[in-house]
Amino acid sequence: MEIVTKNSPHLRRPNARVVRMMRDVSIALAPLVIFAIYQNGLSALLILLVAVLSMVGTEYLYYQVVDALDRAKHEDPTESLKKLDDLKYQKKRNKEKMESEKDVFSEEYYKAFLAEYKEEAKRLKAVAKEEAREYETSDNRYFSLNNKSFTVYNFSVITSGLIYGLTMPDQSPLLIVAIGGVVGVFLAKLIFGGLGQNIFNIAAFARVFVVLSFGSALAYESFVDAQAGATALGIFSNNMFDASVTDTYSFWTMFSGIGLPGSLGETSALLILSGGLYLALRRSFDFFIPLTYIGTVFLLATAVMFQQDLGIWYPLTHILSGGLLFGAVYMATDPISIPVTRPGRIYFAFGLGVVTFVIRLFGSLPEGVVFAILIMNMFVPSIDYAKWSHTRFNFKRCAIFTLVVALAVAVVLGGTYYA
Amino acid sequence: MISKARKVSDYKQLTKELPTLRYVDPEHVHINLTTARCENYTLSKEKGDYVKMGEIIGERSGGFFKQPIYSTVSGYVKDKRTMIDSTGVEVECLTIRNDFQNTYCTTITDRPDNYIQNMTQDEMVEIIKQKAIVGLGGSGFPSYVKLSTDKDIHTVVINAVECEPYLSSDYRLIKDNPEEVFHGLEYIMQATGAKRGVIAIKKTKKELIEVLENELKRFKDKDTSIAKLKDYYPQGWENETFENAIGIKVPVGTLPMEYGILGFNVSTTAAIYDAIKHNTPILKRHLTVNGDAIKFPQNIRVRVGTSVEDLIKLSDGYIEDAGEIEIIIGGPMMGKSVPSDNVVVTPTTTSVLVLKNVDYKEEPCVRCGSCVYSCPVDISPVQIMNAVKRSDKKSLEDLQANKCIECGLCAYVCTSKIHVTDYVREGKKLIR
Repeated sequence: MEIVTKNSPHLRRPNARVVRMMRDVSIALAPLVIFAIYQNGLSALLILLVAVLSMVGTEYLYYQVVDALDRAKHEDPTESLKKLDDLKYQKKRNKEKMESEKDVFSEEYYKAFLAEYKEEAKRLKAVAKEEAREYETSDNRYFSLNNKSFTVYNFSVITSGLIYGLTMPDQSPLLIVAIGGVVGVFLAKLIFGGLGQNIFNIAAFARVFVVLSFGSALAYESFVDAQAGATALGIFSNNMFDASVTDTYSFWTMFSGIGLPGSLGETSALLILSGGLYLALRRSFDFFIPLTYIGTVFLLATAVMFQQDLGIWYPLTHILSGGLLFGAVYMATDPISIPVTRPGRIYFAFGLGVVTFVIRLFGSLPEGVVFAILIMNMFVPSIDYAKWSHTRFNFKRCAIFTLVVALAVAVVLGGTYYA
Repeated sequence: MISKARKVSDYKQLTKELPTLRYVDPEHVHINLTTARCENYTLSKEKGDYVKMGEIIGERSGGFFKQPIYSTVSGYVKDKRTMIDSTGVEVECLTIRNDFQNTYCTTITDRPDNYIQNMTQDEMVEIIKQKAIVGLGGSGFPSYVKLSTDKDIHTVVINAVECEPYLSSDYRLIKDNPEEVFHGLEYIMQATGAKRGVIAIKKTKKELIEVLENELKRFKDKDTSIAKLKDYYPQGWENETFENAIGIKVPVGTLPMEYGILGFNVSTTAAIYDAIKHNTPILKRHLTVNGDAIKFPQNIRVRVGTSVEDLIKLSDGYIEDAGEIEIIIGGPMMGKSVPSDNVVVTPTTTSVLVLKNVDYKEEPCVRCGSCVYSCPVDISPVQIMNAVKRSDKKSLEDLQANKCIECGLCAYVCTSKIHVTDYVREGKKLIR
């Protein structure tokens, strides 16, 4: 028995774990995966497998390389031993100097140096010994198949892979999916320093990379595949307020997602919302984010509806079609790339809604969710800036936020008026 | 997880219904001569002298106040030794061998009620000052300073929340002697001229509320009431208690007296009753010995100056296959972990916890925001942690790191098991 001392608090919350949070997202995605395979057959399964495996594999290889470099670094003499060598060389030089140029470099001077040298050498040796001992006990000395920094154990990379795979359209070439996964996890996550360090949402980054590099191969703009014609947003991108959308797709089709064209995971609003409900009940995400995001799009679409004299179908179509629900529930809530405070998260989600709606209405692409997420990711450091970040709302902040919301509505209405 | 998470699982069911064991006759008591607040002392007794219970054996002084030192047993003075006190600081102690006669000092006499009724604030303050009553919730702040306020006090709040897990000493105190609490409250209200008295307690402690409500019937003439507060941590933090009990928000960094409120812990209130009614200093106190590495957790009424080693022996010692253990003086959220069991029970020691040591594996921060959502003073611990890692003093000032009360909730809720509280503490030091 041994008595140890630690700093308070001495208790921790039993069920607060990163792995639980990440695993919950994977569990919430499971019905979507099954639905995608049921809807699209084997090709969906292949796309999802390739997406997950490419991300997991890249991360695994990367950390094996990192570990190998780490081992190589420790086989070299350590930093302090190198310094010790330098010091020894200096001592030798000084001794020679003392013997050759006695008038400049007196013996007393040398003695003073020697005293200093002894102390420094002692310290460096102790440091080197400490370093060696620390390394001796670390389990990083030999090659091992399980490398320690690999984050597959806490599901984070699997979750990213699944989300990425579910944003891909059916029949996407597998090679493109794989390239997107490799580049996404490497450029968006690993070179920033791994789990918790990335500033962009990994899945969104990979998806945007694929769209911009291989857009024509995916036929992104009008998702034509064996099953059906254009998506609702595809129709919108030709004519901004085309009421024929409601003839093509009934409300129930858009809600259940059965027979709806689109990316693998984003068709079934019902399953996405039930996954979101599960996550909200397990407290694995802050449900204010999807609520604000979807609410903002609904508000802006409703404003446009009144201005253009359209029916209630217009805002509903905006919410139910495209990747909005999927992005709001699974991508915008990834905690790593969003602000940390609740007001910050609400501002962030509001920004997402505005950017998404503006891209949908005025941009050349029919869909704006992933772009909106990447754009708003860039604003996270400014939202979290120490000078103005705050953890609670007060009256003044609410008033300013309301003004900004009103301004956003005015801008969108002005845009539709002149467009 | 990612939500306001303030529920801390309390382990009070281990001890709260156990009767209080009386262990007031140790072989030796050790009277601490210095405290964290007072570094200097003078002794008026020498080795071999006979002292009586409640007799002044010296005076400690420091900072802005002086305080007499009282012997808590009758017996013979032995030598001095160094022990650890409730704040984890090494203090010098005077060992007194108990002669088991319990000879009271002649100054310990009851004051008649009709005499007390006519006492003025100054008289009461003088007694509290002479009897060295300090905040027994753990702060150790001298009570006479609070009581001698010249501000207009309208409400006195008695803090009986005891929100730290594992502790049940205040629980037992109220259950065993509720009348002491009410009398103490009465005296405080008389001294400060407050019109209203509130006893703040968690609404989950139903048995205690029953006891207090029964007792309240005897004090109908005074405007006293019981405020039932929600069960969360840190409800017992003074400002949180005030806000929830009487609805007055005291900003961090200002004294509650300026808002006309005065707060006392229940044990302090009972000690004030003892001092004014019986003219005794703090001789005994309720204490909890608890934890998962001790064989028999229990509540003990101990003499001040008992060594913790004796108390652990009294609880059948540590469990056999304990491995590494932690000894914590105070609650598990804010208590101090001490390097050995050579600890003395001072008036401010509320409990002794013996916990198995768990080494949590830290994972990278995923910015989940649980610490931000849960923080009781509305600061952002994760951003402070990042600023500390960069030694960014300007950001630390902007993030108001000095508002932190070190309640430990941020580390408690952390999904990555990072010791966030330690980083925030470091941040506070950086901008001090």
